[in-house]
Amino acid sequence: MITRARLPRLVACGATLALALSLSACGDGNGGASSDDGKIHVLVYGDASNKVEERIVETFNKTSDVKAVLDTIPGADYQQKLQTIISTPQAPDVFFNWGGGSIKPFVKADLLMPLDDFIKKNPELENKFLPSVFNSAVVDGKPYGIPMRGTQPVLLFHNKKVLDEAGVTPPKSWDELLDAVGKLKDKGVTPIALGGGDVWPTQMWFQYLFDRVAGPDLFKQAVGGDKSAWESPDSKKALNMIRELVDAGAFGKNYDSVKYTNGGSVALVASGKAGFELMGSWYYSQQLTDHAEFAEKDLGYTAFPTVEGGKGDPANVAGNTNNYYSVMKKTKHPEAVAEFLKLMYSDEFVKAQLDIGNLPTTTNTDDFIDSSGTPEYSRFQYDLVADAPSFQLSWDQAYPQKASSNMHKAVQQFFNGQLDTDGFIQAMQALPTE
Amino acid sequence: MRRRPHYLAGAGSLFWLFLVGLPLYVMLAATLRTRQDYADNGPVSIPDSFTLDNYTAAFDSGFGQYFFNTLVVTACVIGIVLLLVPPLAYAIVRSRGRTTSAIFRLFLLGLAIPAQAVIVPMFYLISEAGLYDNLLGVILPTAAFCLPMSALILSGAMRDISTELYEAMAMDGATPRRMFFQLVLPLSRGGLSTIVVFSALQAWNGFLFPLVLTQSDSTKVVTLGLYNFQTAHGIDIPGLLGAVVLSMVPILLVYLFARRALVQGLMGVGGK
Amino acid sequence: MTTEITSARPAAGPRKGSRRRPPASSATKVGRPGFAWALPAAVFFALFAIVPLIMVAVLSFMSWDGISSPEFVGTDNWSRLMDDPVMLKSIWLTLLLTVLGVVIQTPLSIVLGVWAAGHQRNRAVLSVIYFIPLLLSATAVSVLWRALLDPNFGIPADAPWLFGDGNLFGEQATAIGVLAFVSTWQFTPFHTLIYQGAARAVPQVLYQAAEIDGAGRYRQFFHITLPQLRNSMITSMILMIVGGLTTFETVLILTQGGPGTDTTISAYYMYDKAFKGFDFGAGSAIALALVVAATIISLVVVRVSGYDKMRSTMEGVS
Repeated sequence: MITRARLPRLVACGATLALALSLSACGDGNGGASSDDGKIHVLVYGDASNKVEERIVETFNKTSDVKAVLDTIPGADYQQKLQTIISTPQAPDVFFNWGGGSIKPFVKADLLMPLDDFIKKNPELENKFLPSVFNSAVVDGKPYGIPMRGTQPVLLFHNKKVLDEAGVTPPKSWDELLDAVGKLKDKGVTPIALGGGDVWPTQMWFQYLFDRVAGPDLFKQAVGGDKSAWESPDSKKALNMIRELVDAGAFGKNYDSVKYTNGGSVALVASGKAGFELMGSWYYSQQLTDHAEFAEKDLGYTAFPTVEGGKGDPANVAGNTNNYYSVMKKTKHPEAVAEFLKLMYSDEFVKAQLDIGNLPTTTNTDDFIDSSGTPEYSRFQYDLVADAPSFQLSWDQAYPQKASSNMHKAVQQFFNGQLDTDGFIQAMQALPTE
Repeated sequence: MRRRPHYLAGAGSLFWLFLVGLPLYVMLAATLRTRQDYADNGPVSIPDSFTLDNYTAAFDSGFGQYFFNTLVVTACVIGIVLLLVPPLAYAIVRSRGRTTSAIFRLFLLGLAIPAQAVIVPMFYLISEAGLYDNLLGVILPTAAFCLPMSALILSGAMRDISTELYEAMAMDGATPRRMFFQLVLPLSRGGLSTIVVFSALQAWNGFLFPLVLTQSDSTKVVTLGLYNFQTAHGIDIPGLLGAVVLSMVPILLVYLFARRALVQGLMGVGGK
Repeated sequence: MTTEITSARPAAGPRKGSRRRPPASSATKVGRPGFAWALPAAVFFALFAIVPLIMVAVLSFMSWDGISSPEFVGTDNWSRLMDDPVMLKSIWLTLLLTVLGVVIQTPLSIVLGVWAAGHQRNRAVLSVIYFIPLLLSATAVSVLWRALLDPNFGIPADAPWLFGDGNLFGEQATAIGVLAFVSTWQFTPFHTLIYQGAARAVPQVLYQAAEIDGAGRYRQFFHITLPQLRNSMITSMILMIVGGLTTFETVLILTQGGPGTDTTISAYYMYDKAFKGFDFGAGSAIALALVVAATIISLVVVRVSGYDKMRSTMEGVS
């Protein structure tokens, strides 16, 4: 009987202890007691671009007393993982992000260092970058990110051969696009390939149309907390245009079963079963790897069509504006971090990025484009971004990360008809903005 | 053999063979063709190219290291399970105390705790213990979640040891410890190899714990390597499947050799 | 449970020969291990499963986004979930998928298991192949089937008479069908093995007697094999039910809960709330509800099957 009573108590004690331990761990969040090994920890998204970042770290370590260490989190769950570790001792000093909503919650939690002091000491940290890009990491009027890697605007890609056979030229306006959809459909091909199974490709149509119809301010209002923006006539007009496009059969019937991420939609365009695909600039290299012959001969690209009577500037672009480095407030080596960030616009870095297919948005990028692997394509993108009055950050990145899942649901349900215009508006209004 | 062949069963089994075999064919075929061939012709087609590049590419992208890590995790998980479960199962089968009975119920209920239900606090426990991004931090929880099923399997096997044998040893004045080493362990070899296979499968295919509890390349296991092949901006299905096939080979070998033990152990699970 | 005296422990040195003791006392009292044998495993398990579970329970009464400090909010998370239509839907979907799993997989694996239990050579070879899906991780299985079911380049494109326009992931009914099918594909081999083992353990005498009575193959199956498989059925069903309630990776990779929320089962909804929506409080509440549901179900089945009674009957015998 004695042992019987003792054991549960033992377990209970252990449980309480562990609980207390862990809750205090959550509690002292930005204390940052540990992980100070006298080095700067730089955390980046793990992929092929890492080799450039490793080189930069090496270059930095040659001259700096405080050494930098590159940590990576590979794969699609970077943002989730970051949010899990950011308030623990495992948090880095400097980390990769997408600007906008991806860092807003961290700013609100007072975890990030505003960079205006750095910039005051060294104005090049701001004026060496394209303004439309730099501004995407400004939160509540203060800069929190220095651009790194490159820009990834969304473009309208097409299969030249398929368009030729249907007697279609790459559309410059919305009406031309609708016209092209009709002609391609008559030819028996899916007019526009869409990886609806991933949902984020579907969302690209929304962010461009809202920008073309209403201009960038509508979304800015909405993400700033003014939810009435979603009810405005412009918002409804954009939604009706999307509805019209879907109902015209532009995406075929089975787009929700197609994925971009398993190569499905990519193959649709390459094999001539579809005419267009709206996708980020990385699409070009994907086609080059998967369907080299097609990519070299028949892959065309244009900017998103203009919308007649729309309030948005036709030169505006949307997509992943850029990637940024943000700095944790708790870092013990701010001076060294500032030195590290300077390397982001160094010639060496810009050239190295271009070599692996990234397109940095520094003012000196222009000088090196012609020596890049795909000069024509890089030039097209660079001019597009440099001339854009506004660069709409992808909606799911502009909103706080926690809104993205519900946003994707709404986007998918509006496309497949489960939500009507009012239903979609309500769903968007229900999203958290901070 | 003493019966006429069963045509209905034969037809059914062939249909099932098709269902199981087709995806396996697609997988193998995909790994032996070029990425372009796969992308152009789709998964269900006869390859018109042959290459081993997908396998070498998998190794080049660090799979050697991932294999080593998975091996370490698997070996350690098996070690912990073999250390903890036999005494536990022995107590479950032979002890008459109420505490043991309560412990047994705890493990029965443990069967119903899914790993994803506890993943959030697990992160904090592991990170507080300084084991984040450390293979030990993956090994410990993985082993813990192998315990309930292993205890069930092994105690099932130990129940088959007849009471007369215990009595005979008891008459010789054997201590529980001597019975354990001289009687119970040798007679439950089948059950032991089953729990080894079971925990090896769990550790080898484990996904959620490594996903949340590690981050760098040096601690990455094979399943995570597979998952990371699928990033948004670079799709390489043949490469991915090549890695899948590679990850299957060792466990397939284990299975081929330990199959009899596995089947027998599962009979133990079935309560006979 | 009276006095547990371990007086039989030998004082010193090993005893040789067969010195007889009074049989009555030695059989039941001597040489039984104490609970200390079970303690290391119990503590280890408690630390890594029970303690986190308690923490989940506590978290379900807190509001926490992973960044700022958690705050107690009482039953707020729970009442929000009660009013959440997606939560209700997810429960129905979970039950539906679990029931589908049991209803499809049980007969299939019984038939396959009994078939594979035969000692013919072709059966032995085929059953080795049948087992292979079990060796693949859920990640791999899902990636594989997603590629196979691509509407333009996979099986549906080759069999339009069966799949129509191939929009399998775009409608609720077909998306659920795919999920049920893929888990059947993945887990049937495991249950087949359970039944194969059990079917081999059925005493041959029973069949010989039945054959003398002139019972045909199907009567033998229904009157001898099936009743003999009862215990295995219970085990296999517990595993199916618990597995069904906690299905996760398959949904994550195949449908991501879509279209819309049409395949958002509870375990996925928990992940969606906690790790995508960073609402760890609500996520913990769902997690806890899942554990409670799985526990109740397995408790009921354990009662029915007599797992816990098995011990006492054994004790009674000894």
